[in-house]
Amino acid sequence: MKKRQLNVLFHQEIRWKKPVLLTGFMIMISALMIFSAEASSSLGFQQRTVTGKVTDATTGEALPGVTIVIKGTTTGVASDLDGSFTIDVPSGSTILQFTSVGYASQEITVGSRSVIDVALQSDVTMIEELVVIGYGFKKKRDLTGSISSISASNIEDTPVKDVLSALQGRAPGVVVTANSGAPGAGITVRVRGYSSLNSGNDPLYVLDGVPLESNTLSSLNGYDMHGLNPLADINPGDIESIEVLKDAASTAIYGSRAANGVVLITTKRGKEGKAKVSLNYFSGVSEITRHLGVLNAQQWRQIILDTYKNLDRYNNATTPTEPHWTAVDSLNPMNNGDVDWQSVMYRKAWQHQVDLGVQGGNEAARYAFSTSYLDQDGIFLASNYKRITSRLNTDFKVSDRVTIGQNVSFTNGRNNRINAGGTGNLSLVQSILVRPPVYSLTYPDGSPINYFNGKRNPVGMAEECTHLNVTNRIIGNQYLEYNILENLMFRTSVSIDFISMKEDEFYPTTVDYRAGYNWGAVRARTNMTWANENYLTYNTSVGDGHDLGAMAGFSMQNWKMETTGLDGLYFASDNVRTLNGAGTISNQAVNRTDEHSMMSFFGRLSYNYKGRYLAEVNLRADGSSRFGAENRFGYFPSASAAWRFSDESFADGLGFLTDGKIRVSIGQTGNEAIPNYVSGGEFAIGTNYLTNSGAAPTVMPNQGLRWEVTTQYNLGIDLAMFNNRVNFVGDFYIKNTSDLLFAVPIPETTGFGYITRNIGDISNKGMEFALNTHNINREFQWSSSFNIGFNRNKVVDLPDEVLTNGYIQNGTYHILMEGQPIGTFYGWKFLGVYSRDEDNVNQVRFGSATGQPFIGGDPIWDDVNNDNVINDEDKQIIGDAQPLFAGGFGNDFSYKNFGLNIFLQFCYGNDIYSHLNNMRNWVFAYNNVSTDALNRWREQGDVTDYPAPVRNDPKRNEYLRVSDRWVEDGSYMRLKNVTFSYTVPKSITDRAGISRVRAYVTGENLLTFTHYTGYDPEVNSYSGLQVGVDEGAYPQSRTVVFGLNVEF
Amino acid sequence: MKLNYIKTAMTVILLLQVTACTDILDKDPVSSFSASGFYKTTADAQAGVYGIYDAAQSVFRLNFCYWGEGRADNVQTAQTGESLTLLSNNLNNTASSADWTALYTMVSRANYAIRYIPDVYEDDNATGRQLLGQARALRALAYFYLVRVWGDVPFITEPYTSIEQDIFISRTDKETVLDLVEEDLEYAAENCVDKFNSNNDRIMFTKGSANALLTHVYMWRHKYPEAVTTSDLVLENPLYSLVGIADWGKMFSASYSKESIFEVGYNDTETNGLRTLYAVGSYAIYTPSEKWKASIEEGDLREDFVYDTIPVDPKAIWKYLGRGESDEVSTPAKQNIILIRLADIMLLRAEALNKIGGAANKDEALSLLNTIRTRAGLTPFDAEADAIAMYGDLESAILHERSVELCFEGHRWFDLVRTGKAISTMGPINGLSNEANLVWPIHQNALNKNPNLVQNSFYQ
Repeated sequence: MKKRQLNVLFHQEIRWKKPVLLTGFMIMISALMIFSAEASSSLGFQQRTVTGKVTDATTGEALPGVTIVIKGTTTGVASDLDGSFTIDVPSGSTILQFTSVGYASQEITVGSRSVIDVALQSDVTMIEELVVIGYGFKKKRDLTGSISSISASNIEDTPVKDVLSALQGRAPGVVVTANSGAPGAGITVRVRGYSSLNSGNDPLYVLDGVPLESNTLSSLNGYDMHGLNPLADINPGDIESIEVLKDAASTAIYGSRAANGVVLITTKRGKEGKAKVSLNYFSGVSEITRHLGVLNAQQWRQIILDTYKNLDRYNNATTPTEPHWTAVDSLNPMNNGDVDWQSVMYRKAWQHQVDLGVQGGNEAARYAFSTSYLDQDGIFLASNYKRITSRLNTDFKVSDRVTIGQNVSFTNGRNNRINAGGTGNLSLVQSILVRPPVYSLTYPDGSPINYFNGKRNPVGMAEECTHLNVTNRIIGNQYLEYNILENLMFRTSVSIDFISMKEDEFYPTTVDYRAGYNWGAVRARTNMTWANENYLTYNTSVGDGHDLGAMAGFSMQNWKMETTGLDGLYFASDNVRTLNGAGTISNQAVNRTDEHSMMSFFGRLSYNYKGRYLAEVNLRADGSSRFGAENRFGYFPSASAAWRFSDESFADGLGFLTDGKIRVSIGQTGNEAIPNYVSGGEFAIGTNYLTNSGAAPTVMPNQGLRWEVTTQYNLGIDLAMFNNRVNFVGDFYIKNTSDLLFAVPIPETTGFGYITRNIGDISNKGMEFALNTHNINREFQWSSSFNIGFNRNKVVDLPDEVLTNGYIQNGTYHILMEGQPIGTFYGWKFLGVYSRDEDNVNQVRFGSATGQPFIGGDPIWDDVNNDNVINDEDKQIIGDAQPLFAGGFGNDFSYKNFGLNIFLQFCYGNDIYSHLNNMRNWVFAYNNVSTDALNRWREQGDVTDYPAPVRNDPKRNEYLRVSDRWVEDGSYMRLKNVTFSYTVPKSITDRAGISRVRAYVTGENLLTFTHYTGYDPEVNSYSGLQVGVDEGAYPQSRTVVFGLNVEF
Repeated sequence: MKLNYIKTAMTVILLLQVTACTDILDKDPVSSFSASGFYKTTADAQAGVYGIYDAAQSVFRLNFCYWGEGRADNVQTAQTGESLTLLSNNLNNTASSADWTALYTMVSRANYAIRYIPDVYEDDNATGRQLLGQARALRALAYFYLVRVWGDVPFITEPYTSIEQDIFISRTDKETVLDLVEEDLEYAAENCVDKFNSNNDRIMFTKGSANALLTHVYMWRHKYPEAVTTSDLVLENPLYSLVGIADWGKMFSASYSKESIFEVGYNDTETNGLRTLYAVGSYAIYTPSEKWKASIEEGDLREDFVYDTIPVDPKAIWKYLGRGESDEVSTPAKQNIILIRLADIMLLRAEALNKIGGAANKDEALSLLNTIRTRAGLTPFDAEADAIAMYGDLESAILHERSVELCFEGHRWFDLVRTGKAISTMGPINGLSNEANLVWPIHQNALNKNPNLVQNSFYQ
């Protein structure tokens, strides 16, 4: 595609035209590279004709559009569609230069030959690569901002199932965390850290110029907080490239939504030539990476008895308390099982995907069609994800000046989920770990026990409940490009992103304790986003080597979301699960419409002197309906410059240096991710009194609300050395966000808990490095890519009125405090366990000065203020969820037809708050616990770090006490992907009329090096600011996949 | 020529901008109202009032019990949380019942309604006045609880519509607040409907329920003659009559009885904590105290309706969920919470008459008391002397009757405080000894958010 873009847009003779006067706000800017191949008439030497064919040295395919120039002249031709060329050359020692973007140029002495076939080697470097930028393209060598680019080659030959996970470890400064291991589950992407407190921290996703709806695709019913992956609807096989715009120079053109970075996704387009058919298939099997230790039946009975014994010790009881139930009676048929529920619930899960693609076209029309089907079982019983995607991208050259085209994709996804999120009885991942091992699966008569002793049977929950999310999505974009003048282009496009999502839930009578009680819910949501974008691009050259570019445009966008839903109770039968079967439609009927719109003006000016001095300015003005009338428009400027010092004369001495460039940029971007109607205040419907519809003021108005503003400074260096065999990119940045949109707590006497205001500052500082090397480049090839990003996040300023005891409590486990990063854990510090009663020398007490003193077996809590009372004042900072650095390391080996790709991904220095471990080590009611409890304190004098379990936990030793006992180092290094492939030699496939056959085996997540004791360190149970918490997310899996790629 | 193309393109773009500019960025809520877009129609006014009741549902779902029973002698607890804090008189500023958020939400919604309903009904008509009456009665209900629980409280009578308003309000003397409570209820007693002719008679404010609440306020303020006047209006009101003993239990489990004057409505989806409080088989928050069980007279027919008398501990309170209800899971309950009923007002009237004194008044007081006793299958007191013989004086006999008849309904603590018996009753149980300890502390969150609030003296 990159080659095509060159052909269409730039491989033209462009001469200087008189400047066009542009008016008003429309500041024209552009950064498009022009190939100036000025043809001059040949002189009157004796001529003869040379013909030949240009091919790709690797694939053997014909190369059209290669420029063939007689060295020392401006005479040249281009190869045609078949790669053939004919050129008249003067007699004598003529040298022909063959150049094409993406290939190393070659010079060939004609001599006496009349036929010259040339095979061009693809350039080992990507430095001539075109990079997609906001509203245009740019040569990578001319970039002045910080952009990471991931090309199709990183994605297409491996069994990647979604776009975002393809980003993981590939771009420095971009931290990608799968929220859970469930198929189609949400993924958190952070570009250069967290820059907002209350508003979104997600980047803006733009697919082929269509800004995607990505924020609202969480579970409709709200039980599962992991959310769904908004980009799961895009077939990774369709991706041509992904660009992550990081600094303000690159992102400011997206203005008010760009503070968290912009991810531009470009899909494949047809190329001129005969139809190319590709067929990809893979099939694989996944299993859980780790099995957590839980007590068996005998050990469990013992610990339950211990909890009673320890409670008696607390109460100085004279007669021992007996367990209420027959739970510890091993002879009771309901309680004589010995089950590790993990082995019942986790399974080996299969997945299959098949892709079919057809690409081709001629000068007038080009097409790229693809369709794919994915069927992926989850490793947890009964979870499954099926996805059908289909895409057609077309381009039509209507006339010399006009090109029209469209990209349309349709996706149908069916996500059969299990409830793995949250806490409590309905969350399966957590509940199977704490479910007593003694519970039988079946009654003595063999029928399943789906509900017993206040606990639902997880097998019944997984198999008999419905939790089905069906998404249909159409993303479409139609454009018209009009070359008004040779160097002035107008492009207009209309796009939609239409999502229809429906979620069905049903909990049958068999999993409830109330006779005949079942309930169901249905939620449907449609999201309709449309956008219209129009822009003009103008490029010109002035004098000797001064290239000027300008771009200016206007866009409008509107989002509308409608949610509809009903809850029902007492269905006549468990078999009719639609809401018409409900005996009672409970009052939870939902029907809501939200709307939001935006209008923007944007422009860019760029200047380039011989590629040596580069400069660019951007400006965007965004108006949003979310803000108060007085502050409706925000202005987002940026400026950047670059200096290619390798072109200066002093660099001549640096022979190893192929290319060297220093970049600087500064700019402002915004964040408008607040609810739609907060500035005008809101009266909400649905505050009903029984069946009477009520309304109530729920949001206090603040007409003065305005954007969050992020100011970012970037300094970067690009180096290419040793004939492009070593490429290095380094960036340093400072990113300050001010006017944070924040829901400031106000006295409840107002009737409102919060009012949204612009307050506070956050900063992110960091550096990013990427190093790509071609270590060996012979028949055996070895290339490596390494990238790493360091980010330091800090809350710089919070106004006093929002602080309580100097901080803001952020969910259960985190605080926000000046000088500390977002993701700071706050709680009690665990110092050990009192070995004997008398070890509590100072008689430290629980809760207050009159509370119970801690005794042998109790935890020793850090008494921060030394008042011998353990209470809220003894809380302290106990961890930080943000990594010190994260990155990836890839190695590609190839020898003849064999390829080996090894990709490591790592994340270092982040803490995880494992609420799961808290739940697994707390004998709440009759819950099971981890095998760590075998080391528990049992009697006076025991020296251990595992406290005595106490029934009802009167001193809150474990009960929801946020403590560093549950904070663990979440650093990890993961063998993310190993692919071994074999391409059948062309000599064999050619005979069968097949152009390529490749077979591969891939292992995903084969090894993970970590100290984390939960299922997996890659976990994020909440999608917002409560980063790094493991509530018992659906575990990650290890997968082995076999695949086949065939091209005709 | 070529320039013309550019001009055309520019014109198209500029036109798009100009036409779009006018309205695309003005988006009012579709499924809700902007703060300035509500209270335009009569339907808005009605919905606004229902919104206040919705807030009342949140206020009382647990706290009717924590406030009205939690610190008194009728209940005991095996739990360690809020219930133990209250019963052991170990209140601190993080107790959940010390949080007044829900009450002020109710006040805020009422203030909106009271401010804006008159704008909807420009001509002063009865529909508007009755809605205003309900809104004012609900505000009075909220402030009556605020004063009884915290004493002096921030006094807010206007809605918050702008960030410019003062949000850091300090506390106002409780008598000033109660003056407005009386004024609101007098307005409601005059302007509310007589009846709705539906179950709404029990769950929304009518003239009768406004008078009943006013009776409670007068009794709290020891304004006995006024209480006699308003209670008379309640007793004369044909909406209300005592149920027979056979239906006594159903008043609570089925709701909407003819004896009920004002109850907060709940259903399957708008639920409350009655089950958690009283009826979760083995670990309900509260069970009847030994002292209270011992205080029940022999042959009292109500006893079986109230709690699980089968001699196994713990004894679940069956009054609301119904006899035999023993669910091990603390799912929410849907029974209404009765705040005022006829027996309650009759006993308050008896108390007022007794306080005023005089033979005729004492006779009527005794007769009212006997009506309740007789229904419960107890022998009536022939003369005041019988009551004195049994309970020391008539007032104590009436109070005892209230503690049995109205047990666990959220009256006991306020009865003890109102009659000055809180310290003498609770002192032996939990050491309560200080008048300043009779109010709750202000929650730490409220103090944190408002620098102008001063903590109640006992808790400083």
